[in-house]
Amino acid sequence: MLLADFGSCWAKTLETDTGSYRLEETRKLVQRSSLIFDVATGHMAKERAQRYKNEILALAHGALRLVDEDNFAVVDVGARDIKYCRFVGRRSRGLDWNQSCGAAAGFTLELLGRYYNIDFAELPVAEKRISLTCAVFGIERIFDSIIKGSPVEEAVSRFVHGLAYNIFTFVQRPKKIYLSGGLCENRCFVKSLSLYCDVVPLGRHVLLAGLQDDE
Amino acid sequence: MKKIGYYGHPPLSVIEHFRRILGQELLDLDVDFGSPDTKVVPEAYCQIITNIIDNAIFFRPQLSLIIASVGEEKCDGGRFAAAILKDLGFKVVETRNTRVRKARPINIAKSVLPVVEKVLKIMDTVHTPDREQYPECEPSLGFWGVPPHDLTLLELFPDSTHIYGWTRCVEAGRPADIRLETYVDPGVPTVFYTQAFCPKQQLAKYLAEKYGGMCVDADGQITQSTIAKVEAFIKLV
Repeated sequence: MLLADFGSCWAKTLETDTGSYRLEETRKLVQRSSLIFDVATGHMAKERAQRYKNEILALAHGALRLVDEDNFAVVDVGARDIKYCRFVGRRSRGLDWNQSCGAAAGFTLELLGRYYNIDFAELPVAEKRISLTCAVFGIERIFDSIIKGSPVEEAVSRFVHGLAYNIFTFVQRPKKIYLSGGLCENRCFVKSLSLYCDVVPLGRHVLLAGLQDDE
Repeated sequence: MKKIGYYGHPPLSVIEHFRRILGQELLDLDVDFGSPDTKVVPEAYCQIITNIIDNAIFFRPQLSLIIASVGEEKCDGGRFAAAILKDLGFKVVETRNTRVRKARPINIAKSVLPVVEKVLKIMDTVHTPDREQYPECEPSLGFWGVPPHDLTLLELFPDSTHIYGWTRCVEAGRPADIRLETYVDPGVPTVFYTQAFCPKQQLAKYLAEKYGGMCVDADGQITQSTIAKVEAFIKLV
């Protein structure tokens, strides 16, 4: 069986027979028009899957597979959106999907990293944060900070901190967050979020885990 | 054939009065008829108020007058729309439906009818009382709010969904009753819906957090992401 979390920027696949995971840029994968998944989730998956599952259900089911606790919150920060589920007694007691203004969250960090040649693993956490209502406005604030003389790294780190704070409030300010998605690998982001709550990174394959119920 | 346009929830007595003297059909200007975008209201604005203005201008040759809800039963947007329509040369009758009267019993909102049908039947009671008694059911889910601009949202809900919020107030004949508007059955998982850019978002957010429901808003057509979010809520609760 071939499972896929076919996101806007990154496609994560799992070949269940061999247990092998692959990560590929979506822009490359879309060129393989004959590729059809057995079960898939993600913005790009609907036309490519024998069976489709929506992302928030995949996140919820994946988190329940991976987390043993009765009460917990999980958030997935994707390239273009942010979604979370909260469980009490392992039953859903809240969910949300910031599908438009939260957009660009992960993707914006990738763009910034590439443009300014920043290694987020080395970037120190900023004490102050840029107040973000959306990533585009946030970029404007980065440019302003740089114009006023702030080092690029400081401005970008404040942006990352602002994004982490937004996500903390979006998930209703829990004491602990299970984090899903590519930002688990962004040390600066994880450390920034850790200023507000405990953070347990689950990695990029939570939604794939949520598809395994549908095999 | 000329028509009487109306929006919001004018008092039934006013609607009946004009129907009697003019003998004309009614046209609910809140509803999406696909009228051309006139750009009179701002781009980012409540879609229902936009519908009112766009529909009025598109159907202008057919409208003899517009009965406009401008009181607490509607919103400031409705009041401002009435002022604009008057300025554009429409004959506008302003009404305020805030008079306290005995609530009509709630039946359609608690019935086993499909949710779209429930909402449309309730909205028809604005001008035509419904004396049918529909079988009721225990609620498995709740839908709180106003009739969405895009009714396809309601097709996601099972028939055992109860209706709350302003739509329930309409069935009760008390569209400005804030106590009834804020009532939900605790324990019933409820989707709190508002149009984007509507002041009711304040209530929806507060109530969703208070009762553990989910807040959803939409501007114009329902997006696939909103559909997925509601589907997930319905499946997970």
